[in-house]
Amino acid sequence: MSTASDRSSAATIGPTAAIKPDGVLRLPAQCTIRDAAQLLAQLLVHIERSAPVYIDASQVERVDTAALQLLVAFLRDRKAEQRAVVWLDCSDAMVRAARTLGLAGALSLSAALG
Amino acid sequence: MGMDLAQFHEAFFEESFEAIESMEAALLKLDVGAPDPEVINTVFRVAHSIKGGAGMFNFSDIASFTHTLETLLDGVRAGRTRLSTPIMDLLLKSVDVMREMLRATQRKESFDPQRVADLQFDLEVAVAKTSAEPPAVAAPAPAPAPASPAPPAAAPPAAAATPGAAAAAAGASEWRIGVKPLENMLSRGNEPLALFAALAEHGELSVEASVEEIPPLASLDPHRCYVHWQLGLKSTVSKEQIAEAFEWVEGDCDYTITPAGTAAPAAPSAPAATPAVAPADTPRVAPPPAAAASAAAPAPAPEAPAAAKAAPKAEASGGGDASSIRVATQKLDELINTVGEVVITQSMLAQLGALAEGPSAERLRSGLAQLERNVRELHESVMRVRMLPIGSAFSRFPRLVRDVAQRLGKQIDLKLTGEQTELDKTVLERIGDPLVHLVRNSIDHGIEMPDERVAAGKSAAGTVHLEAFHRGSAIIIEVSDDGKGLDCERILAKARSRGLVGASETPSEEAIFELIFLPGFSTAEQTTDLSGRGVGMDVVRRNIKALGGKIDIRSTRGKGSRFTISLPLTLAIVDGQSVCVGEETYIVPLVSIVESLQIKASGVNRLSNAGEVISFRGDYLPLLRLHDLFGVEPRSRAVQEGLVVVAEGDGQRVGLFVDDLRGQQQVVIKSLERNYGQVPGVSGATILGDGSVALILDVAGLIRSASRRAAA
Repeated sequence: MSTASDRSSAATIGPTAAIKPDGVLRLPAQCTIRDAAQLLAQLLVHIERSAPVYIDASQVERVDTAALQLLVAFLRDRKAEQRAVVWLDCSDAMVRAARTLGLAGALSLSAALG
Repeated sequence: MGMDLAQFHEAFFEESFEAIESMEAALLKLDVGAPDPEVINTVFRVAHSIKGGAGMFNFSDIASFTHTLETLLDGVRAGRTRLSTPIMDLLLKSVDVMREMLRATQRKESFDPQRVADLQFDLEVAVAKTSAEPPAVAAPAPAPAPASPAPPAAAPPAAAATPGAAAAAAGASEWRIGVKPLENMLSRGNEPLALFAALAEHGELSVEASVEEIPPLASLDPHRCYVHWQLGLKSTVSKEQIAEAFEWVEGDCDYTITPAGTAAPAAPSAPAATPAVAPADTPRVAPPPAAAASAAAPAPAPEAPAAAKAAPKAEASGGGDASSIRVATQKLDELINTVGEVVITQSMLAQLGALAEGPSAERLRSGLAQLERNVRELHESVMRVRMLPIGSAFSRFPRLVRDVAQRLGKQIDLKLTGEQTELDKTVLERIGDPLVHLVRNSIDHGIEMPDERVAAGKSAAGTVHLEAFHRGSAIIIEVSDDGKGLDCERILAKARSRGLVGASETPSEEAIFELIFLPGFSTAEQTTDLSGRGVGMDVVRRNIKALGGKIDIRSTRGKGSRFTISLPLTLAIVDGQSVCVGEETYIVPLVSIVESLQIKASGVNRLSNAGEVISFRGDYLPLLRLHDLFGVEPRSRAVQEGLVVVAEGDGQRVGLFVDDLRGQQQVVIKSLERNYGQVPGVSGATILGDGSVALILDVAGLIRSASRRAAA
């Protein structure tokens, strides 16, 4: 996770500055199908937000297809409404899972994967 | 609220128990000399899937044990370990231990860790021993090693690919793999991450995801997988080896595997055209994905219980199971209950329809007749839903017979017939123990030692035959053997010594056989640990009676015995005779009725201590006046103006005095206990066509309560 800060700069939408505390979506350590319903509820809270949503994935230790698929939908739906999503930080586990599943592009994490 | 994995525990246990059963059955089918690779594969798959499920649910003891077992099985599968009798015994013991661990875990009890550790140690020793030996191909020939074409190089266990097989089957150096998860893949714990990690073991894997089908967040089911994938795999492995990685997701995921040169379909749509073929003589290339689950979510073996569901079940029941779903019994019972209500409403309408007059009355009646037919069909179909083949109760016997016979040094051939005979699930669940007892008895007391048999001119191996079939509206289950038969003299001597039979009495053979159903009756010269544990034939009979059935014995000295159990098709419906007392209607189950007759006033005698008795075929039967028992005003108290129904319960007969008999009909039993409370002498209630409630009499209970009254 040492290179986490590099990765955050690779986020494609919006600047990393001006973080509003209420706009930060902090992903828990466990982002798996067990937590998917909770994650979905959390995402739904943020989906309508007109200001950028900042995702902090630095704490994620485990993440699976169910969770990543939710994030893909979240990013896509926000993008369709021209609303910004900013990756603040991203753990290795998160990046690895996204890459293994071929979802890094859809999650706008591809530039971080170099 | 996160998803609680506990909700899947029950399904895991249920599936695992089933899987273990099929594993046991498969093991028993295995011929030690020439094991069928397909059967070994089945056994391996079961162990693997239980390990996966246990890992996902964090049952680490089970996961660890099954892992060791799996390693041994993998060796057998790959031909590194020759199947021998000691190994078979180890495997069968493992089945027992796994079952116990699962049961204990399910009940949240503890199990004997020493026993598990000991067996696990034995398994590990077996694994270590065989990997030290030169690899032998799993072939029928006893010493095939020199002739074997496979290079017996020091192949490291598990990870080595057979060079021959790969080269032969390959032809392609790059594969296109389409993966389309079905709805339940994720919720079953089958994680694509693990699948891809396993595939990546074969070579360089490129992954392309299609996310177009992910619906808007607001309408998305978080437990369903909407993504599908196109993978590219640069590897010289064969298609079959790739397919092996899909073995564990079979049924949860459609997939296609095509050489990269050919036009690859965009995404697999129809169910996979290429079934996962896993020839048993090909060593597994991918180690258990547990090792490869890098960022994967549930780290230990995330391939979950899906395989437990798909593979072993299909093989266990051997065909005939097209597609099926699991339904909670409670839901079925609710459905049956509702249909019962519909039956009642329908017959109520029919009575009203019969009275209807006017221009549309005829049409109403024909409509009602149609309704009656439909309701009857509906009722029959619903009752059939609860019916299960008795095979599942029979399946434990091959193992039981093998163990018992081995312990006693007897040779037994077990014959099973009629496994497809269906009976009610509740009956099926409760008939298991009585059957076990009967079969054990047959082996222990019935079948002679081999030398005795030969001396008697029989084959050394005795036969125990379990048979099930329908007869009328009853299910018959017979346990027969060709052993020495019941020893009437010994039974009689024992009964006399216990004062059960007077010294001067000489009961008929039939009556002597009946004696063995008395509590605490056992003629075994020495009680073994098999039978004679205090659970006797009396319990067997009681259990069968509780199901509304009966058990009969036929036996010929020196030729063998036959125990015939007769059970009702279902517990929810009873064939009843309606009788009326004053304004009330009662139902007497037809099975309990011996005869109905009219008697003269002089036919009734009053005894000082037993109330009234009637003379019936040379016997005196107590006469129970239902109007007295239930506090109803009868049409008449004079015996000659009513009828006596002679009924039987618990081996005793009684005369029931009623006003009159009405029709015979099938009635749907409604539990009184659940809706009101227990009433002595009443087993339940039913609702008649006119909407009135009738009590269903429990003859045995009536006799008991009457004798209590007499005693008081």
